[in-house]
Amino acid sequence: MEMKTGRKRGLSFYLSIYRKILIQDLKSKMSFRADFIISTFGMILTNVSGFITFMILFHNFPSVNGWDYHHMLFLYGFSLIALTPVQCFFDNNWNLRFMVRSGDFIKYCFRPINVFFYFISEVFDVKGLGQFAFGLGTFIYAWAHIGIPVTVVTVAEAVLFLITASLFMIALMNFAAATCFWIINSGYVMVIMFRFKDFAKYPASIFNSVFRFIFTFIIPIAFVAYYPSLVFVTPDHVPLLSWLSPPIGVLFFFLSYKFWMLGVRKYDFTGS
Amino acid sequence: MTKIRKLTALTKAGIIESLQFRLGTAVMLFGNLIYLALVYFLWKAVYESSGVSVVNGMTFYDTMIYLILATAIFNFLEMFIVWDMSRAIQSGEIIMHLLKPMRYRVYTFWSYTGAHVNNFFLAFVPTFIVVSVITKGAIPIGMNLLYFVVSLILALVVNFNIEMLVAPICLYTESTWGINIVKETIVLLLSGATIPLAFFPEGLRQVVEYLPFRAVYDIPLTVLLAKNGTDTPAGLLAGLGIQLLWCVVLSVCGNLFWKHAVKKITVNGG
Amino acid sequence: MGREVVVMKNISKQFKVLNRHEGLKGSIQDLFSRDYRIVRAVDDVSLTVNKGEIIGYLGPNGAGKSTTIKIMTGVLEPTSGEIFVNGRVPYKDRTANAENIGVVFGQRSQLWWNLPLIESFNLLRDIYLVPEQEYRDMLELYRSLVDLEPILHKPVRQMSLGQRTLSDILAAFLHNPGIVFLDEPTIGLDVSMKAKIRELIRGLNEAKETTVILTTHDMGDVDALCRRIIIIDKGRKIYDNDIGHLKSYFGSYRTLRMRLGDDSWVEQVIDEKETDVMHVMQEMQKEHRIKDIQLQEISTEEVIRKIYEGDESA
Repeated sequence: MEMKTGRKRGLSFYLSIYRKILIQDLKSKMSFRADFIISTFGMILTNVSGFITFMILFHNFPSVNGWDYHHMLFLYGFSLIALTPVQCFFDNNWNLRFMVRSGDFIKYCFRPINVFFYFISEVFDVKGLGQFAFGLGTFIYAWAHIGIPVTVVTVAEAVLFLITASLFMIALMNFAAATCFWIINSGYVMVIMFRFKDFAKYPASIFNSVFRFIFTFIIPIAFVAYYPSLVFVTPDHVPLLSWLSPPIGVLFFFLSYKFWMLGVRKYDFTGS
Repeated sequence: MTKIRKLTALTKAGIIESLQFRLGTAVMLFGNLIYLALVYFLWKAVYESSGVSVVNGMTFYDTMIYLILATAIFNFLEMFIVWDMSRAIQSGEIIMHLLKPMRYRVYTFWSYTGAHVNNFFLAFVPTFIVVSVITKGAIPIGMNLLYFVVSLILALVVNFNIEMLVAPICLYTESTWGINIVKETIVLLLSGATIPLAFFPEGLRQVVEYLPFRAVYDIPLTVLLAKNGTDTPAGLLAGLGIQLLWCVVLSVCGNLFWKHAVKKITVNGG
Repeated sequence: MGREVVVMKNISKQFKVLNRHEGLKGSIQDLFSRDYRIVRAVDDVSLTVNKGEIIGYLGPNGAGKSTTIKIMTGVLEPTSGEIFVNGRVPYKDRTANAENIGVVFGQRSQLWWNLPLIESFNLLRDIYLVPEQEYRDMLELYRSLVDLEPILHKPVRQMSLGQRTLSDILAAFLHNPGIVFLDEPTIGLDVSMKAKIRELIRGLNEAKETTVILTTHDMGDVDALCRRIIIIDKGRKIYDNDIGHLKSYFGSYRTLRMRLGDDSWVEQVIDEKETDVMHVMQEMQKEHRIKDIQLQEISTEEVIRKIYEGDESA
């Protein structure tokens, strides 16, 4: 038997593995039919309820800080889309603390593939797709009503900004989940971090300077929808931060990934 | 041991267990602060944009007080009945409970009371005091406080019954999160907890008047704030009466549903 | 004889274990705490494993077995000492090392819970970049060793414990690794399943010359599979030799079995060099009738126990 040399595994490798895992996982999830349907319904209901809340608000008030109904709707739709990847693809972070505590986590370290990828790829949350559909519908509707031109450029921008916006919430949850490598009650950290996502659907301009600072530079929830949306909603006055949101997003995600992997190394080191 | 002693013992045990969840309480309070910060800024912005200080009979202060107290009530009412029950069903523990001499529904109610008493003093009362002080007495202090306590207890019972109605559904569908989120979404929206019912458009408002959910949040809050005619004896009795009505109706339905569910559990052997 | 697959020289591993606290204050405390205690899990262990060997890796719980296994699999970095697996330093290049090893835990399956077994195999084939022909040959080999059909299309979550263990072992060998680590593979299984698993391991070891390091508490595994035994206790290696030598270690020991008046059997381990069989029987007869006696070879289990006890008092 010859010795296998260490082979490099690139992006295409990981993409094809993920696609295969995903297809299989979806096939088997469908078999839990009642839970699947109810959870999807529950997700949609949550979104509908949020939408109704929205409408009631605008039934009584003309605008929020200069953002009228359709602009707020745009923000709302944008945030829902941007919040979908963390819901669908990174749901396993919620299980991290249990697996680390029980020792089961170690099984992710024995295969010749990236531990973060292996762990995250195990779970795909289908009910997040309901949120995506709702968000996309809202987004397109608002886009049309605001009258944003539909060109190759604007559509490409939309895709780019949506993807990089999603990185922020993913990164925040990575940070929150990885705390389980250091403290016991990390579940609470995750729950609190998750609540911050509710701030994403509102323009950061409603906050005073202290909160705006917090939501821009400390817990950057304002980048999930507010800053990127400005590129489309106020194309004549786009602040620098909005243009910078893609590279900041990538950097922030990278930092959270490093932090997560640091936790894995620490886990190995103490073997706990 | 007389029944009263049994119940007191249960309540006491619940309080002690609850006190151990200090971290959970701290987190809950912090979570509330986050939510309330958002509420504060959001409503401030919308009120500013409208240019008037009173919308649908509510000033900005009114709305803030209402929503802060709604959060406090939410914490007070929070019961993990649905979660605990489905866990108990899944693990088979529920058989043990059914074997105990006390009736399960009654037992469940009283075992959570400890947490509620704890919650009331740790969460609700401080919040109330803080709000009172900050708003310089915008909450009327008088007999309405007493009526409020009565109304709150009734709200608790109504909420409990809603939970007990929902919990067996999890048994039938083998789905916990989905059912729970549906219940919570509906209750919070239609009870006036997310947005005060005063703001609801006419059509929706009519519908909501006939649903039990306002008995959980809207009624106790309006009693406390002495709004909506509850400062008159007629208005007050009407409010409390509606709550009582829902207590009875939901309790009866819940009981029937529960008996049916118990049959299913015992047939399946847990 | 043969190539050295694992070489450990003076490996030691110390842990700084944080004394964790509960509650809110506790969590915050933990972040800044310097309240550690030092645990010496592995203490100056050296060993060499050759290609194709099946080694029984024994020791009481908490002895440091799983720690050394983790070091060998590259998941843990030793505090001091040298280690080479397949010529590579495992913790320095975890991914490359992982390509050449297989790992099985007794209870925790490493397969995808919801997937039919064949789909897990296919995924593993892709992850380990196994050439298609090799993959097919491997499945053929599996078919010749076990009855694959009933489990091949079953999702792991629907399998019995025995089937799951079988699947995990097959999965571990799938990419033809040079060395496979099996941690308590027969735990919780009934006697016939244990026999099947042991046959499988032996078959795979013979067919592919795969080195196997088998951690177990079950002496049946040891007797059936291992020609060499390494015993770890309190982080130190206290025995490293073949199984025949083990028996002669305590050559004069016998198990004396006596059938009493009520037809129950009583066992006692005696050292024939030190104790007189007659004397023991006489003592027993003071309280019970003896209907029958048997003098047996001491079991491997007893030998191991003696070694543990010897180490205790040492």
